[in-house]
Amino acid sequence: MADLRTYTIIYVLLLVLGTGKFVFFEFDFAYSIAIGGTILLAVAKIGLIAAYYQHLIEEPRSITYMMATAVFMVFLLTIAAGYSIQ
Amino acid sequence: MADLPPMTTVKRWLVTTNHKDVGILYIATAIFFLLLGGAMALIFRIQLWEPGGVGILSGNEFNQAVTTHGLLMVFWFLSPIASGFANYLVPLQIGAKDLAFPRMNALSYWFYLFSGVLLIISFFQQGTFAGGWTMYAPLNVPTYTPAMEATTGGNAVILGLMLFVISITIGTVNFLVTIHRSRAEGLGLWNMPLFTWSWLLTVWMMLFAFAALLAALLLLVSDRVLLTQYFATDQGSSLLWAHLFWFFGHPEVYIVFFPALGIMFETFQTFTGRRLVGRKWVIIAMVLVAVQSFLVWMHHMFLTTINLEIKTLMMATTIGISLPFDLMVFALIYTMVKGRVRFTTPFLFSLGALVLFILGGITGVFLGAVVLDYEFRGTYWVVAHFHYVMVSGVTALVGGIYYWWPKISGKMYSETLGKLNFAVYFIGFNMLYFPMFLAWETPRRVFHFAEGAQIYHQVATVGAFILGASFLIMILTLAKSWISGPDAPDNPWEFSRTAEWAIPSPPPLENWDGRPSYASGRLEFVEDSPAATDGGVAHGQGNQAEAAIEHEEEHADHASIWPFGIGVGTFVFFLGLSGLTPYIIDFAEGTPNPPEGLTGIAAEPNIMYPILTLVGIGIMGVTLYKFGMERFEVPEMKIAERWPFGGVGNTKFGVWVFLASDVVVFGAIIGAYIFMRIHMGWHEWTTVPFASWPGLLNTYVLLTSSFTVILALVMAERKNKKGLLGAMTATLLLGLTFMGVKAYEYSMKFADGEYWWYGLEYSIYYVTTGLHALHVILGLFIAVFMIYRIISVDAYLEDHRPVEFFGLYWHFVDIVWVLLFPLFYLM
Repeated sequence: MADLRTYTIIYVLLLVLGTGKFVFFEFDFAYSIAIGGTILLAVAKIGLIAAYYQHLIEEPRSITYMMATAVFMVFLLTIAAGYSIQ
Repeated sequence: MADLPPMTTVKRWLVTTNHKDVGILYIATAIFFLLLGGAMALIFRIQLWEPGGVGILSGNEFNQAVTTHGLLMVFWFLSPIASGFANYLVPLQIGAKDLAFPRMNALSYWFYLFSGVLLIISFFQQGTFAGGWTMYAPLNVPTYTPAMEATTGGNAVILGLMLFVISITIGTVNFLVTIHRSRAEGLGLWNMPLFTWSWLLTVWMMLFAFAALLAALLLLVSDRVLLTQYFATDQGSSLLWAHLFWFFGHPEVYIVFFPALGIMFETFQTFTGRRLVGRKWVIIAMVLVAVQSFLVWMHHMFLTTINLEIKTLMMATTIGISLPFDLMVFALIYTMVKGRVRFTTPFLFSLGALVLFILGGITGVFLGAVVLDYEFRGTYWVVAHFHYVMVSGVTALVGGIYYWWPKISGKMYSETLGKLNFAVYFIGFNMLYFPMFLAWETPRRVFHFAEGAQIYHQVATVGAFILGASFLIMILTLAKSWISGPDAPDNPWEFSRTAEWAIPSPPPLENWDGRPSYASGRLEFVEDSPAATDGGVAHGQGNQAEAAIEHEEEHADHASIWPFGIGVGTFVFFLGLSGLTPYIIDFAEGTPNPPEGLTGIAAEPNIMYPILTLVGIGIMGVTLYKFGMERFEVPEMKIAERWPFGGVGNTKFGVWVFLASDVVVFGAIIGAYIFMRIHMGWHEWTTVPFASWPGLLNTYVLLTSSFTVILALVMAERKNKKGLLGAMTATLLLGLTFMGVKAYEYSMKFADGEYWWYGLEYSIYYVTTGLHALHVILGLFIAVFMIYRIISVDAYLEDHRPVEFFGLYWHFVDIVWVLLFPLFYLM
């Protein structure tokens, strides 16, 4: 497991990334850029939490694959259903 | 923990956690629901004797009977009986002593039983659910079914189904951990018995498919009890339900059929005396079907307004899924050709299942083609097709009952009676379902049809009674065997190959004397000295004493009353919830903006239901606490095959599997938001929160709580009690702060009269963030329990794993908020 210093750095990073999403929409960014930027920041945050706070990087890779499959199912359902009404 | 009482006592069956006992409970309960569902079918088949009905059922009663028949057979019979076989046999086939989490296994059964009791009670709540087993929107919400003035019974069914899905989820986690981490030495995945293989793939499909159904049911319960608007709008509600339901519903077809397929593989091998032809290819084909099952769901939606491109794609994937099935069918046929067939009762049922499945499969290809489906949709062709598929599965399952009856009961049955059973069953089946192909123009779910189809319906009704009689013959055969049948040997079948046949019939409580091992290439029972299994050899008296203590500590418990208690509490709670709608309506009518069209959609308020809700919460609180405090030993296998999930403990892996399921639940609910927003027009959407700053503030609060949880883990590792207590308390306070901000945010909307029924956007905002808040509250209860344990018994300083498991859950809740914040507050 990582040490306290690493956990603290990640915590600060998470706060910064969380604020970044707010900044995208509060300041004068184009809507599409704000959405794209927010998705990127959210993915980065989720990656950091899962990898370091949930220690996914230290677990067998098969756990990551299982969680990735669950996420894939969600994307499959949402994107296919969304596309079906285009 | 108390010892396990003898099997002849009622107490034994209330407290048992042993996998074989739970398996028997599952099988017996599933057969009861089969008979109940069958009785429903016989009643409406009588009604169908002539066009317009013979008058034994009113229109609404007919709808109730058809709906309940479908729900009982698909949910409360088919999967649970397979689950019963799996409970009994999978640990035996893989060389384990029990499932990974025996108490959770018992809990899974009690949830199943009580979910069925809820369904039965619904008949006495002024009528059960009548909207069809697929529960299509908007028939699933009371607004559009004014004839159903009392919605309490409908609510009880939906809540019962939700409890059933929770039961399935718990079972899924248990089996995945068991099969992946408790296989005997040398038993690689490729060499697993085929019934276990079929069940492994079944539970993998269940993990993701039932999570989507749970999401759909959560939203539906919210609509029916709290008056949200998910399935009551003209803005995509019915499409949303169809997507969520069939994303579950199509894999469900394979979920119910795979165990039957596994039984067919086992019995074909045993009674042809030959290993299955193309065994590895069959396994690959099953894996392919499991994957493809999630890529075809929109073929159930060809008559909706989804676009032609996606329909065409789904037609292609649907036809594609028949290819691996072809391989399996040919493997079975070729195994018969290469072997020497012994026409025993289990084999006859399995062979019958194969024949019926081929017919069911071929007639399904018609429905997979878009143009043909336009013609066949909603007719008796569909009814005939899916009964040929699903009930062919039942045929194999009956074969499974005969195949394993000697092992489970320790008694042999009469082959003559068994074969008579098969003959009557096969005749009844085909008389019942084949005429439906001929009467295909009859619209399903109604009792009005053309005069010319009457003869087919009459033959079908006679067939239904013959099929029903065959089950009475089965029960008679088994009862006669139980009372006066000769004792069964360990292995009554000459060529059976799986491990359950290597031990006495019925097997002893602990299954094996020695440790099963396949290391030499064949099944052996190894005697390990207690110290040697730890990687060392005992030397001297001190070590022997330690080994003896260790051996003593490894004693496995088999009895706990708390799963039953939690089941009772949850049942009472859900029953209470079913009658809360009238109170919510009363409340809504007192607000400035009540929802439209409330008149006549609910029963009169009954004070019994709020009381039951509170009593249920009380019972759950006590029993969950007792469950958490109980010392219950479940030794983890020291030597086992664990690919690909070695290097992670059973409980941690279980938590991860549960989280994978929760990802789909939350993901489907977030997906519902995105779908409804796309349907409405992305920029037409109304942002509900009064400002974005509460969302940002709660982001900081939750991120900080994630940090304090990780801090708690560090402190536990350092055995620093004060630090651990401080970090956990900080987490608790931050969680409460989060809830406080949320309450403030909601209260700002309530002050303007904007409740969850105010519009679709409001329903989605309140339900999604509310479900997340519910996760936070559950986490807080766990945190309080852990803080209590730290203070009272210095818990988690020697074994910090529970802190880590709690963290896995809490961080997941944080991750969900990472998505909800921009979706609901910013975009």
